[in-house]
Amino acid sequence: MLKVKLKVINQLGLHARAAAQLVRLAGTFQSSIELKRVDNAVVADAKSILSVLTLAAARGTELGLQVEGEDEKRALELIEEIFLKGFGEL
Amino acid sequence: MKKIGGVIVSHGQVAGELLAAAETIVGSLSHITAVSIGWHDDVELAKDEISRAIAKVSEGAGVLLLTDMFGGTPTNISAMFIKENEIEIVTGVNLPMVIKLASQTKEMTLMELAKDVEEQGKQAIYRTSELLEPQKLKKDA
Repeated sequence: MLKVKLKVINQLGLHARAAAQLVRLAGTFQSSIELKRVDNAVVADAKSILSVLTLAAARGTELGLQVEGEDEKRALELIEEIFLKGFGEL
Repeated sequence: MKKIGGVIVSHGQVAGELLAAAETIVGSLSHITAVSIGWHDDVELAKDEISRAIAKVSEGAGVLLLTDMFGGTPTNISAMFIKENEIEIVTGVNLPMVIKLASQTKEMTLMELAKDVEEQGKQAIYRTSELLEPQKLKKDA
């Protein structure tokens, strides 16, 4: 199991279209992928857009990413990358 | 995997706009369509239109009709189509319900999906000020 802390840096936060991008990416991996708010422990399944939206992650929100499965290393790298790129909105 | 089809039925243009919003978020949705019923449309014409919409999205796994309001004309006309394990209705459609219907990832029966969509629609309603103040909530509890 791999874990990393991520920060939402784009202006609009983890809004619907950004969440959809994340969910599409997460869905390409076999690993289970979870995101957890650092401040209030709300947990979301990164493969479900409606679950990701319940994080209500505005800009600046810190999230813990937890990935477990055969392709966990690749999944973690690519998900970290789209957060760092602000979902292409920077 | 055969997908369960979806038809959003509403008064005015709500149905088409909900579908457009869902498509903007999750991408093109060929298994969902929208029917707008005008305020003065003839019932038989509206019925024909819903019937054609059902035929268009049906892949053989059932079709879920999402209508705007229980008791309204779109729901009442849609109700004429209810058929066990083939056509089911969930009323009070909102965007999360359309997205839930859009994102079918595993094989499920029409009744299971209808229940999931109903629950999703209810769960997705938040009084947001409460949600955004988790610290305060904890203190009150």
